[in-house]
Amino acid sequence: MEIKRSPLLAALLSLAIPGLGQVYAGQRYRGVSILIGSLVAAGMVFWYGDPLWYFVPVVIQLWNAWDAFSLAGQGRARSILIPVVFAMAAAYTIGWQVVGIDFAAADANRALQILRPMLRPDFIQPRREVNSMYVPVEVPCSPQPAQARREEDGKTAMVMPDCGRVGETMIVNVTGLWPNTETEIVWNTPIGNALMLGGNEDAMLKMQTDETGALTTTVRVPRTALVAAPDPTLPQNHRVVVYQYRPLGGIELSYIGGEVAHGALATVGMALIATVLAVIFAIPISFLAAHNLMSGNPVTYAIYFVVRTLLNILRSIESLIIAIVFVVIVGLGTFAGALALALHSIAALAKLYSEVIEGIDPGPIEAIRATGANWLQTVRYAVIPQIIPPFTAFTIYRWDINVRSATIVGFVGGGGLGFLLIELIRVNNMQGVSAVFITIAVIVTAMDYISAKIRERLV
Amino acid sequence: MLRIEHLSKTYPTGTQALKDVTFNVPDGEFMVVIGLSGSGKSTLLRCINRLIDPTEGKIYWDDTDITAANPTELRHIRRNIGMVFQQFNLVKRSSVLTNVLSGRLGYANPWLSLLGIWPQAEKERAIKALERVGIADKAHNRADALSGGQQQRVGIARALMQEPKIILADEPVASLDPVLSHSILQYLEVLNKEGITVICSLHFLDLVHRYATRVVALKDGVKVFEGTAQEIDRAKFKEIYGEEAQEVRAASM
Repeated sequence: MEIKRSPLLAALLSLAIPGLGQVYAGQRYRGVSILIGSLVAAGMVFWYGDPLWYFVPVVIQLWNAWDAFSLAGQGRARSILIPVVFAMAAAYTIGWQVVGIDFAAADANRALQILRPMLRPDFIQPRREVNSMYVPVEVPCSPQPAQARREEDGKTAMVMPDCGRVGETMIVNVTGLWPNTETEIVWNTPIGNALMLGGNEDAMLKMQTDETGALTTTVRVPRTALVAAPDPTLPQNHRVVVYQYRPLGGIELSYIGGEVAHGALATVGMALIATVLAVIFAIPISFLAAHNLMSGNPVTYAIYFVVRTLLNILRSIESLIIAIVFVVIVGLGTFAGALALALHSIAALAKLYSEVIEGIDPGPIEAIRATGANWLQTVRYAVIPQIIPPFTAFTIYRWDINVRSATIVGFVGGGGLGFLLIELIRVNNMQGVSAVFITIAVIVTAMDYISAKIRERLV
Repeated sequence: MLRIEHLSKTYPTGTQALKDVTFNVPDGEFMVVIGLSGSGKSTLLRCINRLIDPTEGKIYWDDTDITAANPTELRHIRRNIGMVFQQFNLVKRSSVLTNVLSGRLGYANPWLSLLGIWPQAEKERAIKALERVGIADKAHNRADALSGGQQQRVGIARALMQEPKIILADEPVASLDPVLSHSILQYLEVLNKEGITVICSLHFLDLVHRYATRVVALKDGVKVFEGTAQEIDRAKFKEIYGEEAQEVRAASM
């Protein structure tokens, strides 16, 4: 019954077209698999273009001919270990080079600069009283600059000269402050950026006031003072600001801490709003996406098919990307984030809900109908008790996921903790970043725990 | 008296579950329907309360034509016919009490029942029904926390809430340990003695001998026997269950 096949012909066929020899030897699927595998391996190597790797398809092709020869001659297939190992080695090495892995780029000093402040998260601070004072300074000079002198609450601050260019040295004099107190001096640009004046403009300039509460120091107009100015030749009012702090006992949220707390609230709220919105839309949609309800006739089945397809497409788009679109439509903020999360959640929840509906036990429905109950009573006593617990469980689970996504969505302008985080990273405030990290970890862990506990009870 | 006349049921898939079945069930009878799986027993029982609509034939209950009842009439007929199922068909996540109360839906004020509000009298009736089957202490447990035998007793209590004239029992003991079979069937027997007509499908012949006052046998949707359990001899048994069948005794398992 066995048709005699020539091993040599099989080998030659496989050399010409990968897998053809195997097909000739009667192994159609093996042949097609080898053809696809060989094309992928060869495509990868030639696309990368490094002649060093050209030997890989050659080896695969030789193995291929050997396999066909053996298959036609002795009916014995050869182990695919050899071509697989070669192809994997090529894929991995090419992948390594494409990714550009460079462990030397990881600089320990840089890492320490970032990690050290992160050990001191900026979340709370000792409660303190603030005493501040500022004086406007023109940069660059206009033909007739206003006097750089200001009085308030018995404090007087002045800068000489009254105006200056970037890099120029100025004398700052402030009186009427708290005596013998450490004082921070900061440069504020017209758009509100606070620039440091100490060291190489990378450290806080700190001075001690004398026993009369007076302070005199020289500062240099920061190099970055005009970076954000629309026209660097246009004179604008900057400010030299001084701060003094006096402990009041106890602790309070720091400025960043307050922002973090606010962001955390916004993030959880955004997730909640998004989840509620999603539930409202997902419940009716889920009935349209339930196979057991919709497969009755061709029209409903068509609706089922369209709804399922739309849900799958929508679900495959990451909420981050939807958020970018919504930021463009409704502007920066938590609303854009909430809409993006809601849209993604509708698709995800509708699918989960529809699976619950598909898995409903028809027995109780039959039993309740048999008691003489009407349609609404049957839904109330046989259907709803079956779907409410899993619906609730999935909804809480989704809220949990949405809290996590809400932090990410913030990165592209969706508001909340993510938005705060990306801002803090931009201004290199690693203590703030650390506070946000910790807050995210706490919220996510708490949500995870709570949602798991609730779901445990429901299911 | 329940009269079943020329009853046939063909499913949309083309399966013919019942073929021209005719028999009477006098009031107070413990009528057992026997036959192999797929012989049409379940379909027959479900045609009586029209969970399944027959394709042809009539079912009369005294002078009422069940097969011609409109939806409102049908609900009134159904509330007089209790039903007990092989898989108990309780709402697993609801409490035992709620499951039992749901047997009363045909009588309850529809709007209050939708809100889940039940009069005290109905709750007491439910507790009494549970006392009759000996599990009043489980009233506030979740239904799926109970054992199979206990769940079936909840099923009977639910049927009792309907104050039924007839109880349909579709393989009530097939999902239970054989030793529990008698306990469940004894409850049905007591109810039968009190005047409720019982129509019950069963598998085990020794149970049929013990409980049935009358037997109907189905084979491939056709009635092949009607009479008393004692009339089923070896030949009849082979006719109903096929040549290869061996009699299995529930008690011996």
